[in-house]
Amino acid sequence: MSNNRPTILICDDSLLVRKQMRDCLAECGDFNIVEASSGQSSVELFRQHNPDLVFLDIVMPDKNGIEALKEMIAIKKDVKVVMLSSSGTRSHLKAAMEAGASDFIQKPWEKSQIEHIVRSLF
Amino acid sequence: MFSQYFGNFLLNKGYINAGQLTDALEYQKSVHLKLGVIAINAGYMTPAQVEEIHNMQKKVDKRFGELAIEKGYITEAQLNEMLATQKQGHLMLGQALIDRKHLTMEQLQEALESYKKESGMSSRQYNVVQKDDSEQIGKVFQNFGETLLGKMYSDYVTLLIKNIIRFVDDAPIVEINQMKSDITAEWYTSQDIGGKIVLHTAIACDKDRFLTLASRFAKEEIKEPDELAQASVGEFLNLHNGIFLVNMSNNGVELEMQPQQVKQNHTYRNPGKAYVVTCHMTWGDFDVILA
Repeated sequence: MSNNRPTILICDDSLLVRKQMRDCLAECGDFNIVEASSGQSSVELFRQHNPDLVFLDIVMPDKNGIEALKEMIAIKKDVKVVMLSSSGTRSHLKAAMEAGASDFIQKPWEKSQIEHIVRSLF
Repeated sequence: MFSQYFGNFLLNKGYINAGQLTDALEYQKSVHLKLGVIAINAGYMTPAQVEEIHNMQKKVDKRFGELAIEKGYITEAQLNEMLATQKQGHLMLGQALIDRKHLTMEQLQEALESYKKESGMSSRQYNVVQKDDSEQIGKVFQNFGETLLGKMYSDYVTLLIKNIIRFVDDAPIVEINQMKSDITAEWYTSQDIGGKIVLHTAIACDKDRFLTLASRFAKEEIKEPDELAQASVGEFLNLHNGIFLVNMSNNGVELEMQPQQVKQNHTYRNPGKAYVVTCHMTWGDFDVILA
């Protein structure tokens, strides 16, 4: 993206979740929004757009969010990746934190949580 | 069962972060629930009164309940009631968070009040509803000859009812039957769960029910069974299954979900051991398949 707005990558296979996230982020500020609907396209779009923040689902087609997270961290070590999943099991929480996730939001998320994360970064 | 609900609530409201929740859930396995936390949850004592009793216990060799009665903060009947509720899941998590210093007594009190308000009932009512539902549903599965799996199915269906109330804003009357033949549905939304236990879960319904369910979950009117409608019903199933997996994880059973799939005019072949949970809503019926 050529402008100076921060870029946020939303990775979720659900169109509804992406739409709700996009609407929420539009209320939080002025961002370039990029959307991915699978684990594989998440990593590809991450490479392509070098986002400042990533919201990453865990259960996705092609590649799960934990694998995608590891690849993103390998590409850019200090990237801010917030896991956004309905499946906040012990193993997922542990795997996400160990792989370098910045935070873990259990679905259903609330606008205030997204706002808090975005405002603390930008 | 509700410890994860409460954990999610604390996480989502920003009372704690993910690392603190992970730490507390781990610590919760060995936690001993103290009466002070139960008293605050029940509204019998304030955090300051609990602290006062804790300080008194450093000086006199008496139990918490005994001192609280002496000070007139609780009655003997209330103490007995508190002792009987020492295994409430969400309170165990609350105790773990206090022990690990992730929350103060005051913060826990505030969180508990907010949690009860949001759930629309007191935690005691919450537990009664849970207990009654679980027992009744558990009996149904016992009638089918299910013993070990019956508990899991029963938990699944109890949680399903709560999630329909919570996310679809309608209270269902459920009817559980063993699947006797193949099921053909105009819209079939499924998600497979794997790990120690393999489960096939699905929502089967006609177009009108599909659109109503999609609209109610998305909180916007959806008129066509397009990608948004499919994403909405799929996400409801995904959200419900995700919470179920978290509950199972808290009981030491780690499971994995596959991405959900939506099919039109699909026939699900009866695998021989499957259940159909018919949810009677004010706006029509839909079936949840559990196999």
